[in-house]
Amino acid sequence: MAPLVELRSVGKSFPRGTVEVTALREVSLSIEAGDSMAVMGPSGSGKSTLLAILGCLDRPTRGEYLLDGREVSSLGDTELSALRNRRIGFVFQSFHLIPQLTVAENVETPLLYGGVPEREWPGRVHACLEKVGLDHRSSHRPSELSGGEAQRAAIARALVTEPQILLADEPTGNLDTATGEEVADVLWGLHREGRTVVVVTHNESLAGSAQRLVRLRDGRVE
Amino acid sequence: MSPRALLRLGLRGLLLHKLRSTLSILGVVFGVAAVVAMSSVGEGARREALEQLGALGMDSVTLRARRPVPAGSYGALRLRDADSLAQVVPHVVATAPVREADLTAEAGGRRADAVAVGTTPDYVQAARLAIADGRFLAPLDLRDQKRVAVLGASVASALFPFGPACGERILLGGDWFEVVGVLQGRASARGRATAIRTRDVNRAVFVPLPALDRGSDPRRDGVDEIVLRVDDPRHVTSAAEVAKSMVERSSPGAAFDVVVPREILRARERTQRIFNVVTGAIAAISLLVGGIGIMNIMLASVAERTREVGIRRALGATQRDVAAQFLTESSLLTAAGGVLGGLLGMAGAGLIQRLAGWPTALSPVMLFLALLTALAVGVGFGSYPAWLAARLAPMDALRHE
Repeated sequence: MAPLVELRSVGKSFPRGTVEVTALREVSLSIEAGDSMAVMGPSGSGKSTLLAILGCLDRPTRGEYLLDGREVSSLGDTELSALRNRRIGFVFQSFHLIPQLTVAENVETPLLYGGVPEREWPGRVHACLEKVGLDHRSSHRPSELSGGEAQRAAIARALVTEPQILLADEPTGNLDTATGEEVADVLWGLHREGRTVVVVTHNESLAGSAQRLVRLRDGRVE
Repeated sequence: MSPRALLRLGLRGLLLHKLRSTLSILGVVFGVAAVVAMSSVGEGARREALEQLGALGMDSVTLRARRPVPAGSYGALRLRDADSLAQVVPHVVATAPVREADLTAEAGGRRADAVAVGTTPDYVQAARLAIADGRFLAPLDLRDQKRVAVLGASVASALFPFGPACGERILLGGDWFEVVGVLQGRASARGRATAIRTRDVNRAVFVPLPALDRGSDPRRDGVDEIVLRVDDPRHVTSAAEVAKSMVERSSPGAAFDVVVPREILRARERTQRIFNVVTGAIAAISLLVGGIGIMNIMLASVAERTREVGIRRALGATQRDVAAQFLTESSLLTAAGGVLGGLLGMAGAGLIQRLAGWPTALSPVMLFLALLTALAVGVGFGSYPAWLAARLAPMDALRHE
């Protein structure tokens, strides 16, 4: 069976002024469905770029990216958006909840773009919030939540479309140690349920719980 | 995204900054209000003119002696002019000479100011009068100089409020007349004095021409007006020319005007077009200003919500979804501005009517157009900000502080 994710000599360069900055030189790696993987590396090593490419938020400038056996680096905006919506769930360092929406409305946002009939929304939102232990906070605004609660809400939002891959970018970076561990438990718990989880982090203990560890340096896998 | 979801999203975005949203649409509100109010005034003037001219009839020509008679002029039109016009002017279907006097009508202790109109049976056809009860003047009334009268609707109701007027007698200028008919009421322009003088048939009492005694009037042959009606409005101009030159030849120096409602209407329409162009230009300028205000606020909104755009893109929003969200916001803004402006304009038109006494009329087409234009301004001026939002790179937008 083909791996869920396969990167073949993927590189990414940005034009910055007159010079070209290379964020990712050449990365080849594959992730099997159900894997858990941590990506570590110093600032500027290309971690965020790798995550953006894995998450279909950006296209590689070189190489091939096969998601579930399908080449995606040449897809157009609409197809990439659909992939992000259905196959990928994002968890960000600074939570990235939309401040004017309630927790429940934040969680249902991916369903809006996925064309899911509205009558299914409350059930799915409720199930995801329950899973992260936050269903009692569903009508609160993000500003009323603690850091740990906000990140759990973000995880619920990432889960609501039942994606194959969960991509987390420094999920504990803005949290104190205790809440960070709480959030880590939720993430690895999801992995134990069979989801593919990729975490980009500086946090050794968070990375230590992953099955695989990939270290990046200067845009290459060490 | 479903239109309903879009609408909900748009409303949320606007409610985020209620004051700012309200202020931003003021330009559109006042622009639409000004246009609606101005076009109501224009439409009111147009309808008033149409009504007055319509009362005369588009197929009529009226020769009217000037009053007072200018010094050194022969003065009035003459009865025999009417006869010769009836025979010579092409396409004429009815001709009626008219003599007028302001008199008081009395009956049963009630009085009414009336315009006594002496004329011939043809007048009913020449002026398109409709009889409500009884009959109009007949040829025999004229030949026998009978003292009979046909009452205008308001004279009839003033003198005989409780019963039929036909068969009763009225005292008009010192003589008794028998009422033989009552005319149907006709809407007439009230209030504003206009260039076109029309006879208020509701206030008129029609009597046979020879029966109208004007006391000391030395010109027994003189008439105040000759009304012609032609078979088709298209022949009205040529008929007017023939009539004019005939009367000028038979009575050199006669001081009279030729009133052709159809031509007056055309002149009115030319003025109306200029008015429309001016209104349109004001509309365009104010909506341009309003649109710039909207664009400004939407640009601020996009800049402020860049991160939200990034988040929505990460969650699966396409470029179209993002553009649609911002376009919905700007369209909702200007549509609201259009509705508020429409209401304000209607209120303004009402105020103009009350304070200045000008007739106003709201044309639904105009109102609809104003709303449509407001919506178009939202889409037009919202599209650049929406496009900017849509083409933000998701990663950059997410990192935006």
